[in-house]
Amino acid sequence: MALAGLLVSALALNACSGGGGGTSGDKNSGGSAVKGGTVNVLQVSDFSYLDPARGFDGGVNAFYRLVYRTLVTKAANDASDPNAMVPDLAEGLGTAGENGKTWTYKLKAGVKFDTGAPITAKDVKFGISRGWDPEIGIGAPYLKQLLDAPAGYQGPYRSGELSAIETPDDRTVVFHLKAPFPEFDAVLSMPSAVPFPVGTGGGDKFIKDIVASGPYDLATFTPGSTIELKRNPQWDAATDPVRKAYPDNWKFSIGIEGATIDERLIAGQGADVNAMAGSVQTATIARLQTPQLKERVVKAPSTCLTYIGLNTTKKPLDDLRVRQAINYAVDKSSVLNATGGNQFATVSNTIIPASVSGHTDYDLYPSAGGTGDVAKAQQLLTEAGHPKGFKLTLDIRANPVMQRQAESLQQSLKRVGIDLSLNVIDVSTYYETIGTPSQQHDAAITGWCPDWASSASTFLPPLFDGRQVTAKGNQNLAQLKNDAVNADIDRIRAMTDLAAANTAWSALDRKIMELAPIVPLNVENRIYLPGANLAGVVAPQGDVDYGIIGLKDPSRG
Amino acid sequence: MTISSTPLEAAAADPVVATTDPRRSVVRVLLRDRAAVACLAYIGLVVAMAVFAPLIVRISGWDPYEFDQSSIDPNLGSIPIGSWGGISAEHWLGVEPGSGRDVFARIVYGARSSMLIALSATLLTTVLGVVFGLLAGYFGGRADTLISRVMEFLMAFPALIFMIAMLSALPADDRQFLLVAVISVFGWPYLARIVRAQTLSLKQREFVEAARASGASRGQVVFREVLPNLRSTILVMVTMAVPGYIGTEAGLSFLGVGLVPPTPSWGQMIASSVSWYSVVPTYFLVPGVFLALLVLSFMVLGDHVRAAVDPGGRS
Amino acid sequence: MTRYLVHRVAGMLVVLFLVCLFTYVVFFVLSPDPAVQICGKNCTPDRIDQIRANLGLDDPFWTQFWQFLHGLVAGRVYGSGASVVNCPAPCLGYSFQTSQIVTDMIVQRLPVTAVVAVGAAVLWLFAGVIGGLVSAVREGRFADRFIAGLTLGGMSVPNYVLALALQYVFVVQLQWLPFPQAVPFADDPVQWFLNFVLPWTVLAIGYASAYTRLTRANVIDTLGENFVRTAKAKGLRPDLVWRRHALRPALTPVVTIAGMDFAGLLGGALITETVFGINGVGKLAADSITKNDQPVIMAVTLLAAFFVVVGNMVVDLLYSAIDPRVRVGAA
Repeated sequence: MALAGLLVSALALNACSGGGGGTSGDKNSGGSAVKGGTVNVLQVSDFSYLDPARGFDGGVNAFYRLVYRTLVTKAANDASDPNAMVPDLAEGLGTAGENGKTWTYKLKAGVKFDTGAPITAKDVKFGISRGWDPEIGIGAPYLKQLLDAPAGYQGPYRSGELSAIETPDDRTVVFHLKAPFPEFDAVLSMPSAVPFPVGTGGGDKFIKDIVASGPYDLATFTPGSTIELKRNPQWDAATDPVRKAYPDNWKFSIGIEGATIDERLIAGQGADVNAMAGSVQTATIARLQTPQLKERVVKAPSTCLTYIGLNTTKKPLDDLRVRQAINYAVDKSSVLNATGGNQFATVSNTIIPASVSGHTDYDLYPSAGGTGDVAKAQQLLTEAGHPKGFKLTLDIRANPVMQRQAESLQQSLKRVGIDLSLNVIDVSTYYETIGTPSQQHDAAITGWCPDWASSASTFLPPLFDGRQVTAKGNQNLAQLKNDAVNADIDRIRAMTDLAAANTAWSALDRKIMELAPIVPLNVENRIYLPGANLAGVVAPQGDVDYGIIGLKDPSRG
Repeated sequence: MTISSTPLEAAAADPVVATTDPRRSVVRVLLRDRAAVACLAYIGLVVAMAVFAPLIVRISGWDPYEFDQSSIDPNLGSIPIGSWGGISAEHWLGVEPGSGRDVFARIVYGARSSMLIALSATLLTTVLGVVFGLLAGYFGGRADTLISRVMEFLMAFPALIFMIAMLSALPADDRQFLLVAVISVFGWPYLARIVRAQTLSLKQREFVEAARASGASRGQVVFREVLPNLRSTILVMVTMAVPGYIGTEAGLSFLGVGLVPPTPSWGQMIASSVSWYSVVPTYFLVPGVFLALLVLSFMVLGDHVRAAVDPGGRS
Repeated sequence: MTRYLVHRVAGMLVVLFLVCLFTYVVFFVLSPDPAVQICGKNCTPDRIDQIRANLGLDDPFWTQFWQFLHGLVAGRVYGSGASVVNCPAPCLGYSFQTSQIVTDMIVQRLPVTAVVAVGAAVLWLFAGVIGGLVSAVREGRFADRFIAGLTLGGMSVPNYVLALALQYVFVVQLQWLPFPQAVPFADDPVQWFLNFVLPWTVLAIGYASAYTRLTRANVIDTLGENFVRTAKAKGLRPDLVWRRHALRPALTPVVTIAGMDFAGLLGGALITETVFGINGVGKLAADSITKNDQPVIMAVTLLAAFFVVVGNMVVDLLYSAIDPRVRVGAA
C-alpha cells in the first residue's frame, strides 16, 4: 500500500515477464564489504514505529530487515533475481494445499530471538495475530484481508489465539485463507508477519524496545534523534543466507535537514565516509558532476508512479472526453522539470511503472516532445461542450516539489482555458483528506507504490476496483466504478500462472487508460550518494538493502 | 523572537516627548539627513515596486507565474542555465530552479505581498495599541487593570508556535487576512505598553491639568491634548514595527505557513532557496538582500526619526 | 514584601490558567475531528473509536478540560485493559501518533534546548554589554559608528538567512566547524562544543545587536545623570565612578530584560533548532506542527508560556529587590 512521495518503496517479486529494468543501479566504485565498523544512516524524519505491526512505509521496512526476520523474505539486492521471494525463517517456500486455501511452512532449526529463546511456530502465529489488535495492527493489511479469522477477532491481547493459523508442532505453521491467493509467499514477507515471543508486546511495549530476530538488536533509542544497533549474538549466520551483517553497529541519525545531509555526503568528512542516506535533493544533482562524485552515485528507477487522480464523480470530469482532453493538455515535460529534470524522473504514459512486472509501453494521448497536444485537447473540450474551459480545484500536499508540479500544471491547463486552483493541504492530513470521498476535490496529485513488484496485483486493483471505494481511507481516487474492469480484476487475480497473469495485467492497464481516470505523470528515480567507504549499495528496484551493506575498510572514519 | 520586543524596549528606555518648537518640522530635518534620505529612497523604491507591479512586469516581459522551460537544464536537476543563477537580458535577476520563473517578477510581486501585510499589520497594531494604551494609561483603575492583564496574557504566549499552529490548522484561502490578524493579535500589546507608560507620565503634566481645569471633557483631553504629544512616540514605534512585521511575515512564509504558492513572497523564496544555496547562491542572495535592506532601511530611518524628534537627547 | 510576592504568584497562576484555557479552546475549535487528526496516517475506524473512548472525546468540553487540568496536577490514566497507559503528574498529554507520554518527550529534549539557550544568552550578554559599553564610552567616534553598523546588520538579516550563510561559509567552504550533529558530551566534549558554536552564534547575533543598542542607550543616559556628574565633580577617579555609581543602574535593566528573553528561549528556538537539526523542544514543536500532533503542540505551547510567565515574575522580583520604589508600587 505504501503511498507515494519520495519514500523508498517496498518489496518485489519479479516473475521475469514484462519490462523490468531500466538502468540497473549498481555503479558502486569497486571493492567489497568486510566485517566490522559502524555504518551511519542520515535521515530527515524519524521512523514511524519500531513495532513492525504498526509501521508500514518504505523507509521503515528497510530498517526492519536489520532487526527482524519473517518466514519468507525478498531476496538480497545482489542476488541473481533480487525480486524473488526466498525462505528466511522457513526451510522453503510455502506449500499450497486444499484448492489453494491453505499454506504450510516448516521453520528452520536453530533460529532464536535475542533473548535466547528459540523461535517456534507459536511465536510466528502470535506475531501475526497482533495485526488484528485495533491499537497495534495499523500496518500492512494483507494478512488481515486474506486469513480466515473469525469476525470480531481483536488480536491476542483481547481475543486470545487466532484459529486461522494452526501449529501442529513446534516447527510447522499452517495458514487458512478465505480464498485462494497464489502470491501468499509475498504476503508473508511483509513486516506484519514478524514473529514475537508469545505474550510480549502488549500496549506500547514495542514502542521503545524490541525483541529482535535479525542480525542486530537495539542498543540505544532516542526518539527523533538517534537509533543505534549492535550485533545480536543469538543470530546465527548459518541460518540466514540473505543477510550478510557486515558492520558491527548501525547508527541512524534523525532530524537532519535534507540539504545538510547532501552537503555532508558530498564533503565526506570524518565518519561521513561511512554514511549514507535516501535519495538526494534535486539541487544536489548539479554538484554530482565531478568524476569522484559521479563514481559514487547509485541511480535506479523506483517502482512508484506519480499521477493526477481525476474525480469522476465531479462535473465536468464525469465526461470521458474532458478527462481525455486533460490527458492531452498536460505538459508532462514541464512537470518533469519541476520534479527535478530527467535525472530525477522519467515521464510515464502508462499506469504500471516500467520497473514493475506487467508493464508494457504505450501512449494513448501522444504529443510532440511530451509537451501536450493543445489542439486536440481543445477539440475534445469543444465536443464536450466546454469550448472556453472551466474551473477545477486540485488537492496537493504542502511540499515544495509537489507545489512546483502543481504550478506547472496550472500553466499547462491554462492553455486550454482550464483554471486550476490549488488547495494546499498539510502533509499530516493529506491522505486523510483525499481518501475521504466526501472531502476530496476535483483532482489530486499523489503517488502509488506496489507492495511487491512481481506483479501489478498491488497496483491496479487498489486504485481502480470500483467495489473498493470506501468512505474513509479510499485509494480509488478516481472513484472509477466500471463493471468490466472489476470483472477483469477478479479474473486475473485468480490466475495461478503468474506469467500469464502479468500479461493480462498489461492489457488491463491499457484498457483502464482508455477510460482516462488518471493522468500518469512520471516515475521517479532514486539517486543515492553513499559514502566512499561503503560497499553493497545496489538498488535494482530503487531500494537499498541494508542486509548486504558494509564498510570496505573498518578502520576509516 | 521574530516579534522582537527588544528594539521597542530600547525605544522605551528613553521615552521621547515632544518638547521642541512646533515650527520645527520633523520632515524637513530628515530631508537634510543623508542617511535618512537614502533609507526613504529605498523604501520608496520597494513601495513603488509593490504599487506598480503589474506595469513593471509588463516591461520586464515575464509574469511571476510563467514557467520558462528554455532557461533551465533538465539534465542537471533543472538548474538555471548560465552563471549567476541565469541572469541575462531576458531575465534580469535570473530564474527560479525547477520552473524557470523570472526572479525579478517574483521579487516585484513579493514586495507587494510583504509590504501589504506588514503595513496592514502595523496599521492595525498601531490603532489597537494607541487606543488601549491611552485608555489604560489615562483612565487607570479597573480599565487599566483589565487591559494590562490582557496584555500580559498575550505577551506570555509563545507567539511563534501559536501562530504556526493556528495558521497550519486553518484552510489556506484568504491567508493574507489571517496573517495580518494573527500578527496583530500578538503584536499590539508591545505598542500599547509603551503608549500606556507615556500616557501615565503625560497625565501629570501641567497642560493636561490646565485643559481639565478649563472644563474640557475627558474625551477631549485624551484626543486633543495627550494624543498629539504622543505623535513622535507613535512615529518611532511605527518605524520600528514595520521591519519587525516584515521579518515576521517572512519567517512565517519561510516555515511554510505564510502565503500560499504560487503567490510569491520573499520569505517563501528564501525558504525554497535553502536547498539550492550552494549551487545557485543568487537565488538565495537576491531575496535575502532585498529583505535585509528593507529591514535595515526602516531601522536606520527609525533611529534618525528619533533623533530628529528629540535632538537634545541621544544621537 | 510577602504581600507583593503573594500578589505576583497569584497573578501568575491566573495568567497560566488563562493560557491553558485559551490554548485548549483554540485547538478544540480549530480541529474538526481531533480523533482523526491524532490518529495519523495509518488509521482504521476501530482505532478512531479507541481514541475517542480513551480521550473522552465525546464528553462535553468542560469535562475534557477538567480532565486535562487534573492530569497536570495529579496524573492521568488513558485507556483500559491491555492498552492502559499511566501518565504520572505533571501529565502534559499523550501523543497517540507516536505512542509516547508527552512529558517524557519534552523532558528528553529540554537539556539540549537549555544548552542552546544558556550558551546563546552568555554570548549575547557578553557581546551586547561590552559592545554597548564601548559604544557609549566612545560615543560619536569611529568605534561607535562601526558597532552601530554591525548591530544594524545583525538585526536586519533574518536569522534563518544568517544560519544558512554562516553554515555555507564556515562548514562547507572553510571547514572550520563540523556539520552540527548530536554528539553526547560524555563521548567527545570538544566535538560537542563545536557542534553548538554555530547555533549559539546565530541565535546570539540578533539579540546581541539589540542588547548593544539597549546598553549603549542606558549607559549614555546614566552617564548624563546628575549623580554621576556630581561624583565626577567631587573628583572621584573615573573607574570608580564607573564601578560604584554608573554600572549598576545602567546594566540592571539590561540583565533583567535578558532574563525574560532567556526564559522565552527555553520554550525552544524553533527556527534555529530546525535549521541546524538540533533535537530540542523547538524542533519538537516544529515537527509536531507538521504532523499535526496536537497533544504535543499544546504541551509545548503551555511549557513555553510557563517559562515566560515565571521569568517575568522572577524579573519583577529581582527589580523589586534592587529598586525599593517598585515595591511601593509606583507605576
